[in-house]
Amino acid sequence: MIEAERSEAPASPGERLYRWLDARFGVGRLVEFARHKEVPVGGHSMLWYYLGGTTLFFFTVQLVSGVLLLMYYQPGEATSYESIRYITAKVPFGWLIRSIHCWSAHLMIASLVVHMFSTMILKAYRKPRELTWVTGFALFAIALGFGFSGYLLPWNELSFFATAVGTDSVKSVPLIGQWLLEVMRGGPDVTINTLYRFFALHIVILPLAMVAVLSAHLVFIQVQGMAPGMAHQRPDRPGLKFFPDFLARDLLLWLVCLIVLAILVYLLPYGPGIPGMEWELGKKANPLAPAYPGIKPEWYFLWIYQLLKEFPAHLFGMEGPQAALLVVTVLMGIWALVPFIDRRARKGQPSPAFTDLAIAAIIFMAYLTLKAWDIGGKGLPGKLPDPRATAWVCAWITLGLASGIAVLRILAYRQRWMVFSGAALLQVVLNGVFGMDYLIAGGIALVFVIAGLVVASRKQPSVQVGVPR
Amino acid sequence: MTAPAARSVKPARRSVLNWLLGAGVVGWAASVLHPVLRYLRPLGEAGAGSPLRLSTEELSTLGKSHFVIARSGTRKVIVFEAGGELRALDAKCTHEGCTVQFVPGDSLLWCACHNGKFDLDGRVLSGPPPRPLMKWVATREGNEVILTMEKA
Repeated sequence: MIEAERSEAPASPGERLYRWLDARFGVGRLVEFARHKEVPVGGHSMLWYYLGGTTLFFFTVQLVSGVLLLMYYQPGEATSYESIRYITAKVPFGWLIRSIHCWSAHLMIASLVVHMFSTMILKAYRKPRELTWVTGFALFAIALGFGFSGYLLPWNELSFFATAVGTDSVKSVPLIGQWLLEVMRGGPDVTINTLYRFFALHIVILPLAMVAVLSAHLVFIQVQGMAPGMAHQRPDRPGLKFFPDFLARDLLLWLVCLIVLAILVYLLPYGPGIPGMEWELGKKANPLAPAYPGIKPEWYFLWIYQLLKEFPAHLFGMEGPQAALLVVTVLMGIWALVPFIDRRARKGQPSPAFTDLAIAAIIFMAYLTLKAWDIGGKGLPGKLPDPRATAWVCAWITLGLASGIAVLRILAYRQRWMVFSGAALLQVVLNGVFGMDYLIAGGIALVFVIAGLVVASRKQPSVQVGVPR
Repeated sequence: MTAPAARSVKPARRSVLNWLLGAGVVGWAASVLHPVLRYLRPLGEAGAGSPLRLSTEELSTLGKSHFVIARSGTRKVIVFEAGGELRALDAKCTHEGCTVQFVPGDSLLWCACHNGKFDLDGRVLSGPPPRPLMKWVATREGNEVILTMEKA
């Protein structure tokens, strides 16, 4: 080795450093790996390959802006709210840092959600990338935890009740519900002790978890490469070199993200003012004030919030919230385990049922979210929103959206399998247009799904959803 | 002991040792976890359920805004005047734990979070709450208002 170094001199300082490192750590192997790293081309639009990167970019912005906020934020009964007010009102550019943290949080979740849905629809989770999907789902859960815990930290009225509701639902977990509730809240009620625990969660526990799971997610992607399009739709084409071609595009997109973030932060420092997407500080939390109308969680929790409203007081011997959260847990569980349920995608065969499942999820959540915003049901000032009018308007909007997607799927992608999305839409129409109870409409939709699956498996025995026999 | 017998004993001895080792690890984990889990659950606050006297400040709020929310230990109680009668109910909605408010115009208690409605005795009128609000007894003694839990 020393002989070789001598014979190749003179070398630039950079080259010498590289050789020094290579001799000790074998950096050459990494460089060789990077040189051959490629991104598959031709299976589908390249756009979907960038969304993990943009999510990562916004997460980095969160780390930096979060650390900056920590320089002034003081958790405490008499300081939490006051220190945030001080940051936004007095500290030079304090409003900017807080606004960046809030905007980037919403953009990170949005980017993550689109990334997840595109992965679902393109079946990128199929063998051998099951664990990339599972770690990705875990990152999604951690991101939701970030949003939920960060919401309380300003200790204002909005965050106080959103946290009261969000943590209260924990009590319906069987056996350990009450214990879990008190551990989360630091007592039976939401108090400043809850804020201390959420603060620890938000700035230490979740970041550590995020970095750990994110590392696994990224290592899996490096080892296996990005998922090519499904075999049946992929023409053989050479891949795009990761270094420097893909990376340069990645960086350019990150720059665009930064510019978009800056524009949003400058024009709307307190958010767009949509319920669930605004961060005006408002009044300080007062545990002895009644909840005020319009209390809403952040937009990505709105569908669960609305579901809690749709459930009756009691259902099948359970209390309403318990039943609602059981439904959410089952749906989330199915979602997390999709790579193991989808047997056709595992074999590289077309798997239209799971494409349709993703579309059905979009329809299901879109309708609930629109309803949670009381779109179309806002009465005169001082009047409560009318749920009937809201359901009517939201159903028609969802119907329009779903028809648009269906036409696009049929014409552009020649997709025909629409049992799940049809059922989701059936529920929307029965509930919103015909005024049927939400759960009864859901029951009818479920019957429709079962009938549809039976018909589909008769017509074409190979189209099955992977229900174990 | 004969040789074949010794051979047959060996795996059994190994599995007993494995079992002991496993039990030891479980015991060790439990002795580490127990204090941590116990540490995480905070102590209950004293004073819950004892009679509560409204402060003068709370009394003036009651006069001004038709209702007031007072705290007794860990419980929150809403006190309101309806039909010349002083009433008190648990202020925590039985659905998801938001704090309810008194709507004098409609003579009902309303939770803004998920649109639950209760009548003046705490019974559920509409919306998702699964149980009625617990009743308290509000008694006037001179200028004071005392709240006690209603005996079941």
